[in-house]
Amino acid sequence: MLRNIVKNITAKSLRAVGKNNGLPPSLSHQRSLASVSKTELALKAEKVKVTFVLKDGKRLETEAKVGDTLLDVVVNNDLNIEGYGACEGTLTCSTCHVFLKQSDYDRLPEEPCDEERDMLDLAYGLTDTSRLGCQITLTKDLDGLEIQVPETINDARN
Amino acid sequence: MKSRVNVVKWPFRSPVRQLSTTPWSHQASDGGLEIGTKSVTTSPARGSRARSTHVALDTSLCDVSPSVKSWREVPGPKPLPLLGNTWRFTPYIGGYSVEHIDKVCLSLREQYGDCVKITGLLGRPDMLFVFDASEVERVFRGEDAAPHRPSMPSLNYYKHTLRKDFFGAEENCAGVIAVHGESWAAFRTKVSRVALSAGAAAQYTVPVAQVADAFVERVRDIRNENLETPDDFLNEVHKWSLESLGLIALDTRLGCFEAQEESESMRLIHAVQTFFLSVGELELRAPWWRLYPTTMFKKYCAALDTILSVTLRHVEKALKECELNGGSKSLLQDLVAAAGPRVAAVAALDLFLVGIDTTSNAVASILYQLSLRPAVQDRLYEEINNVLQDKPMKPGDVNHMPYLKACVKEVMRMYPVVIGNGRQLSKDTIICGYQIPKGTQVIFQHYVMGNSDDNFSNARDFRPERWMYRSSTQKHHAFASLPFGYGKRMCLGRRFAELEIHTVICKMVQAFKMEYHHKPMDYHIHPMYTPNGPIRLKLIER
Repeated sequence: MLRNIVKNITAKSLRAVGKNNGLPPSLSHQRSLASVSKTELALKAEKVKVTFVLKDGKRLETEAKVGDTLLDVVVNNDLNIEGYGACEGTLTCSTCHVFLKQSDYDRLPEEPCDEERDMLDLAYGLTDTSRLGCQITLTKDLDGLEIQVPETINDARN
Repeated sequence: MKSRVNVVKWPFRSPVRQLSTTPWSHQASDGGLEIGTKSVTTSPARGSRARSTHVALDTSLCDVSPSVKSWREVPGPKPLPLLGNTWRFTPYIGGYSVEHIDKVCLSLREQYGDCVKITGLLGRPDMLFVFDASEVERVFRGEDAAPHRPSMPSLNYYKHTLRKDFFGAEENCAGVIAVHGESWAAFRTKVSRVALSAGAAAQYTVPVAQVADAFVERVRDIRNENLETPDDFLNEVHKWSLESLGLIALDTRLGCFEAQEESESMRLIHAVQTFFLSVGELELRAPWWRLYPTTMFKKYCAALDTILSVTLRHVEKALKECELNGGSKSLLQDLVAAAGPRVAAVAALDLFLVGIDTTSNAVASILYQLSLRPAVQDRLYEEINNVLQDKPMKPGDVNHMPYLKACVKEVMRMYPVVIGNGRQLSKDTIICGYQIPKGTQVIFQHYVMGNSDDNFSNARDFRPERWMYRSSTQKHHAFASLPFGYGKRMCLGRRFAELEIHTVICKMVQAFKMEYHHKPMDYHIHPMYTPNGPIRLKLIER
């Protein structure tokens, strides 16, 4: 019986969503899944400038779409920040942890939600102006935003 | 002899580490950013809550040093020739009881120190119990893309051998429980975005509150003449949990509180109950089912078949709805739309397997702990009334109940329903100064760590405030208490479990003053960590 149900479902419905199901299993593929921005529809999306300042002082300047999160920016622009955003923005880790300037922290449109706070508690080297990059959505006002990426355990290891 | 080495302290361990508030001055100068480096006692974002500002790790901890000791030197009970260590879990002889692993773990830590090796377990890989929260933090932070979480060999057998036609028919469709590596990662990615985003559970606020209301009505009715809940109260909590999960995973009110025999709901209830009863036996006792299909194992597989077929039917229904409406309106429809019906069905199955008794035992435990603390209940009652003001619950309401959330966290710190979490190492790893080989099962002992003064000041005290206001004078190691785990394998059902728990506790506190007038209950592993005895709460109308 079980098998019949399975067949039934497979035949009738998988076709409808087959596109999503035929994904290759490789881990690298997740990366591209994660890169799907939340504002894909906005073809002529407005751009803002964002700068990530790494632990070693290196500055990664990049253009980002309004409506994207900082995690989207890192993924879509292939910024080389090791271990950033391991959970793909699902608020289960704190690897997209960033420090903001106090003035930037204060002007962000949204305060961290409880789920983000729970994860910030577990962030490495937490400060008063820490946020998770996956929860910061860029607005036009944030043009020129400068974000510091904290040291990670991997840096400490080297 | 090397095996005699007892409590070996890692040379790099520094007692200062956990409370270190070392300012990161170099960062401020490097980037030119104004970064707060001092520890504060109030939250920058909201006055009611402060964050810990300690720098959790000392960089020197991560150095690979020549003083790393070998696996052979890790202390632990010595296995006997032939018998290994399994005999220690034999009733009466061994001294280690399966029901009281909590106490076994406490004494292991006392005897051997922060990491203890258990080898020679029949049919299981060698295990390492870790009692040091900073080491737990290090292992979690060093995780690769697909951490291996050991779980339930019997379910592994069901998914990958017995029903491999179904679970293996499509690539990456076996689910998340008892699945590993790329196959796990691909499935998890499909589901986690739908199930774990911050607002994933909000749409269920109203129906989950309705189920909680039905539960309150139900317990009001079944109280005895002393206004106490009956001996099988936990079973009623299971029904509430199943009803709530049916709503979330299957878009259906199963009607668990009034289900008729022969109904599909009743078959599902029985199947879920059979699964609970047998899974503990199959996993914790000697695994005879590996040799031949025992009666217990047959029942277990039949129960899994039932759950799977019911979920499949509901998924089919959701799929039709999706096609009719063109958009998705629920978790199930979202899953069907995002990942296909098979992924949705398997995700629902996994939610049923691990999302019912965990949630219900947590709720039973929380209610029991609250019944012992009238002052806590009063404060909760006030908070809840201030937020709700006699109005029905709406999305976001619980976010204004920090004390409620803190109470739940505090019970889970002292009595975590799952006392330990684990990983099977995918590479050689240094833990507590020992070189631990790939393949070892590392068990993070959260029950022991959560109740240790090393990690939480006055760990024996029930003090929800510790989760609301942090100060640098109070110890609070965030990695010591992780009821939902951390990182890429964090509980997929967390948002829903939290919504369910917060809602039902809120409703119970609102409706009743809870008291407990019997002998204090000890906790035992059954297989969740739960009060040992009938939960007879006296429920007095507010």
